[in-house]
Amino acid sequence: MACVYIPVQNSEEEVRVALDQLPRDASDILDILKAEQAPLDLWLIIAREYFKQGKIDQFRQILEEGSSPEIDDYYADVRYERIAILNALGAYYSYLGKIETKQREKEEHFILATQYYNKASRIDMHEPSTWVGKGQLLLAKGEVDQASAAFKIVLDGDRDNVPALLGQACVEFNRARFSDSLELYKRALQVYPNCPAAVRLGIGLCRYKLGQFEKARQAFERLDPENVEALVALAIMDLRTNEASGIRKGMVKMQRAFEIYPYCAMALNYLANHFFFTGQHFLVEQLTETALAVTNHGPTKSHSYYNLARSYHSKGDYEKAGLYYMASVKEVNKPHEFVFPYYGLGQVQLKLGDFRSALSNFEKVLEVYPDNCETIKSVGHIYVQLGQTDKGQEYMRKATKIDPRDAQAFLELGELLILSDTGAALDAFKTARTLFKKGGQEVPIELLNNIGVLQFERGEFELAQQTFKEALGDGIWLSFINDDKKSFVDTAASILQFKDMQLFHDLESNGHHVEVPWDKVTVLFNLARLLEQLNKSGTASVLYRLILFKYPDYIDAYLRLAAIAKARNNILLSIELVNDALKVNDKCPNALSMLGELELKNDDWVKAKETLRAASDATDGKDSYATLSLGNWNYFAAVRNEKRNPKLEATHLEKSKELYSRVLIQHSANLYAANGAGVVLAEKGHFDVSKDIFTQVQEAASGSVFVQMPDVWINLAHVYFAQGNFALAVKMYQNCLRKFYYNTDSQILLYLARTHYEAEQWQDCIKTLLRAIHLAPSNYTLRFDAGVAMQKFSASTLQKAKRTADEVRATVAELQNAVRIFSQLSAASNLHIHGFDEKKIDTHVGYCSHLLSAAKVHLEAAEREEQQIRQRQELARQVALAEDARRKAEEQRKYQLERRKQEDELKRVQQQEEHFKRVKHSFEQWKSTSKRRERSDDEDGGTNEKRRRKGGKRRKKDKHSKSRYDTEEIEGDMMDEQEIEEEDADTNYREPKTQMNDDDGGEENAQGLLAAAGLEDSDADDETPAAPSSTISRRRQALSESDDDEPLQRHSSPVGEDTAYMQDSDGEIRDRSKTNGDDASDDEKQN
Amino acid sequence: MKLSGLKSVDNAHDESLWAVTWVPATATRSPLLLTGSLDETVKLWKSDDLVLDRTNTGHCLGVASVAAHPLGSIAASSSLDSFVRVFDVDSNATIATLEAPPSEVWQLKFDPKGSLLAVAGGSSASVKLWDTNTWELVATLSIPRPEGPKPTDRSSSKKFVLSVAWSPDGKRLACGSMDGTLSVFDVVRAKFIHHLEGHHMPVRSLAYSPYDPRLLFSASDDAHVHMYDADGGSLVQAMSGHASWVLSVDVSPDGAAVATGSSDKTVRLWDLSMRAAVQTMSNHTDQVWGVAFRPPGGSDVRGGRLVSVSDDKSIALYDYS
Repeated sequence: MACVYIPVQNSEEEVRVALDQLPRDASDILDILKAEQAPLDLWLIIAREYFKQGKIDQFRQILEEGSSPEIDDYYADVRYERIAILNALGAYYSYLGKIETKQREKEEHFILATQYYNKASRIDMHEPSTWVGKGQLLLAKGEVDQASAAFKIVLDGDRDNVPALLGQACVEFNRARFSDSLELYKRALQVYPNCPAAVRLGIGLCRYKLGQFEKARQAFERLDPENVEALVALAIMDLRTNEASGIRKGMVKMQRAFEIYPYCAMALNYLANHFFFTGQHFLVEQLTETALAVTNHGPTKSHSYYNLARSYHSKGDYEKAGLYYMASVKEVNKPHEFVFPYYGLGQVQLKLGDFRSALSNFEKVLEVYPDNCETIKSVGHIYVQLGQTDKGQEYMRKATKIDPRDAQAFLELGELLILSDTGAALDAFKTARTLFKKGGQEVPIELLNNIGVLQFERGEFELAQQTFKEALGDGIWLSFINDDKKSFVDTAASILQFKDMQLFHDLESNGHHVEVPWDKVTVLFNLARLLEQLNKSGTASVLYRLILFKYPDYIDAYLRLAAIAKARNNILLSIELVNDALKVNDKCPNALSMLGELELKNDDWVKAKETLRAASDATDGKDSYATLSLGNWNYFAAVRNEKRNPKLEATHLEKSKELYSRVLIQHSANLYAANGAGVVLAEKGHFDVSKDIFTQVQEAASGSVFVQMPDVWINLAHVYFAQGNFALAVKMYQNCLRKFYYNTDSQILLYLARTHYEAEQWQDCIKTLLRAIHLAPSNYTLRFDAGVAMQKFSASTLQKAKRTADEVRATVAELQNAVRIFSQLSAASNLHIHGFDEKKIDTHVGYCSHLLSAAKVHLEAAEREEQQIRQRQELARQVALAEDARRKAEEQRKYQLERRKQEDELKRVQQQEEHFKRVKHSFEQWKSTSKRRERSDDEDGGTNEKRRRKGGKRRKKDKHSKSRYDTEEIEGDMMDEQEIEEEDADTNYREPKTQMNDDDGGEENAQGLLAAAGLEDSDADDETPAAPSSTISRRRQALSESDDDEPLQRHSSPVGEDTAYMQDSDGEIRDRSKTNGDDASDDEKQN
Repeated sequence: MKLSGLKSVDNAHDESLWAVTWVPATATRSPLLLTGSLDETVKLWKSDDLVLDRTNTGHCLGVASVAAHPLGSIAASSSLDSFVRVFDVDSNATIATLEAPPSEVWQLKFDPKGSLLAVAGGSSASVKLWDTNTWELVATLSIPRPEGPKPTDRSSSKKFVLSVAWSPDGKRLACGSMDGTLSVFDVVRAKFIHHLEGHHMPVRSLAYSPYDPRLLFSASDDAHVHMYDADGGSLVQAMSGHASWVLSVDVSPDGAAVATGSSDKTVRLWDLSMRAAVQTMSNHTDQVWGVAFRPPGGSDVRGGRLVSVSDDKSIALYDYS
């Protein structure tokens, strides 16, 4: 038992104090010490003993007493012991300061410590232990350089001062000069081989830092196996091997360290880390909390907070995780030291939607690890969330470059690219798929779905189908998809019953498992959509119904079924299906829009408008489709309004323009709105602007199977037509027909015919109309138009100045056809199968037959003339033959003469000619070409002139013929007059808004217009001047006519809208607006 | 079952070909091919080499349909000017010119026994039957007008009759109209039996199976081919696959396959046992207006033949096996 003996003053006796039985109250001892004036080293020993026993107060009490001014006075000559006491106090407060976490107290402790040391220094400037203490204090305060200076002072005095050596080693270690530090430790060890474990620990750590792991391990192993720090260090080294056995060994050591000393923060942290990975979060929290309680070392605390945060993070408690990450980050001075919490914090902030903070944290991580893929991806993701897509893409690209085997990165890159570059997106997705497959992972369904959709969009239907099937895998749907596997399902029978679910009930009752996993519904829908595109609408319908059978709220499936029904013209069923969709959600804008379109198709104008309004309201006017539909509605209304009120029409047009513009403001790239705006502009006569718009829209619309805009082609053609560029208009109409309609649209054929008509290509016009009739046999207006075209053709041929008998014969045949067509129409009129006025047709019949009889006269005349010409030609030929013979004889004579002359000349010039042969040759060439050019110029001029002359002649001739007709055919004209007036009434009536749609109107119109303009209208509509006087009653009559046939065209006009639901979410509008109207009206203006 | 191209003739007519049929073999010659076109002519071709035999004129406006008598001696053609011209196949002598104003004429078909000629009567909403001996109109099979308000121009145009087909026993006649409804008539009693529903767009071609007198096939603008139980009045199967209007349908003589021609420029062969398209021929560059299997019979018949005609002015002949 250790004891101290306090000598009793003035006696030989000593007071024995057993160190393990020190009194609880230090005052007792103090009294003795004071009373006996015990040597100061005894004070120190006793104080130290109290400290060892953890009786800090007593320790302090003794030392404070031992450093009091009285003592100083009394023991003035005992210097070393006084310094020792002061240094002990200094060290104590340094320690307190070091472990204190609160900044103010910490400083107070340091100040106290400094005071004690200073006091010690005042006693003896050169006492090395004071300097060592100061150095330690400065180290604790983090003032490494000053600490180094303090140690240096000591070492300068005594090279082998072990504490100073250790201090300096520590300084060097902190300065990351590990080799210097190592040297110092080594020296300390040499000087004092029995030095404390700390020295070997230091050596080990230095070695470790220097990367000499084996030596480090030896250093640690040389230490006491119970040494916690060494154990921890060894454990860490084991863990770092990153092998299962190493980790296990490390954890065993860690655990032993923990058992030996449960308050080693490092061990606690590592254990927590371990339990984090094993998922024992409760242990993690306990361990880290202990670690936090026992350490005040920044990096270690940071590590503990990080562990805690991670634990909460993985449990999904983002708030708490965020707080602890934040605490962890606060403990880290520089991100370089410990960057993980930044990453965690970034993740949590990202999760909580604080993108900017997350971004800055991730960027800090990138400063340390610029090539960290996960972080780059996160940053990219954040940029996307912040709307900076370009930057996002840049980062994603970087990520894929750094790690070309990261499927996830490719996936995200692909998703980013979808909007901007589908081709690149598809490539990225495909790479991701290959990587997933290579890695043996299951390819995510979403990825396959995206690939499929992109392939679909690019028109690679077969590939898309394969992809979708791959995504779907095995399931009940296979029995519907595979054509050849009709084993137990006869889908056919129920194909028409769009709402029939019996099929699936039967399947279930037959013991088949009808199941559609939630994550495959979208793929299934897309596949069905693809099948529709591949014209397998039957199978598509079954798949949609399968979706609805399992997920009756899937509105899009209803809408697609409705669209299929609509495509088959089954409007009622389609409306029923849309109403089913509306039962699920009566505010669904897509369904409402579709209902509106259907009602429009059903000619239910008012209802359609209400429905479209509702659709627009349901989205606060943000849904472009609904707004566009309303715009279209207004446009149609303007064009068709039965009252033909110019004011109303203007308001409607204005309104539609406003609606289109509104959509364009929201989505400047909306093709349909641009098309609509173009139409309105064209309607107002701004053809150049509208042409620009249409051309741009046309360009933009090419390239995706989801965007099919035949209307813009038609509109463009209309503009060309209106500007008189018939050849281009024809080309455009034909291309449109072929490209979008498989040549089946009789309406476009009608436009085409109209263009041919204007271009006076009668035969093309008639053939085109016949094709149209063949396509739409029940459209009688086409027949009427054909009749008109034939009539016009005949009349114009008959009025030609020169015509062959064949031409006249063809004319006669055509007239006979016209008569037949008109008389058939006339005969049919009382059956109410078409809406023409009987009288009007009769006048046409009359006129044509009249023309026919006239034509027969012409024919005879022409035939006679032809005969005469033939005779004359024969005569001329004979004369020419005789002349020829004479001339030939003459020529022969001349030739002989000439040749002789030439031969002479030839000889003469032969030499020069040879000399200049080459030059001359080229000259000749040049001359000949220039001559040719001249000639062609002449020709052009000539023909131009000729043409002009011809025109003039024709006009004259017209007048002539007119007068002749006037005189000859007054009676016929009288009859015609009435008809033409009617037609003109029609025309005038439509003047502000002529519609090519109303076919006959258009045709008649042209006639009337041309006539009105006084152009050489070869048709005998010479009475046109009378037109403006047409009476109101007649106008009414005409009106009722046109109204009658209007519905026919109206019926066909919204054809283009059928694909409105190409994509489920964003409704596209097949804007069916036409410029037709303005063509004609512009004609008027031009004329 | 397979189609393989044998021969094709480009520019067979000056304009689009709209109609085709086979003229059965007679004692003196093998089957001929009869085509009609927008160029107002009807042409006769020798199979298999498709050598032009003769060009018949005499029509105004385009030729919409052609039909041949089962005995092969006479044929008929209809055109847009609403005339039907009946002529002797070998001499081109006009036998009769038929018209029934004000109705138009569209598809023509002789009955299997050859005693009647059925003509789709367009807006008259009826099929006209002509006696092939006297060339007189013997019956008008009218589609009953829908009940309700007085007929308007719209409703009547919907019943515009485009196509006709005879059942193989000649007792039934089906016709297809613009609104997609099919009507079945009892020919003997000249009575309307029932409608067949399912299409809502024009039905331009109809064909009975020569094997099963109940089976009727229809081709419609809705891009579908329907198979009906014509007696039971129910839809058996709807076959989708064409991208655009189906313009023409014909059943193979063995009753196992159906061929269709479509606006999507293709000819499809459908296997009835699988009820699916087994082959798609795309040698035409424009709408295929007519397809026709060669009827069995004749001395030097080597095998099944299918012919198709198109807007691209060409004829294509296939071997069907």
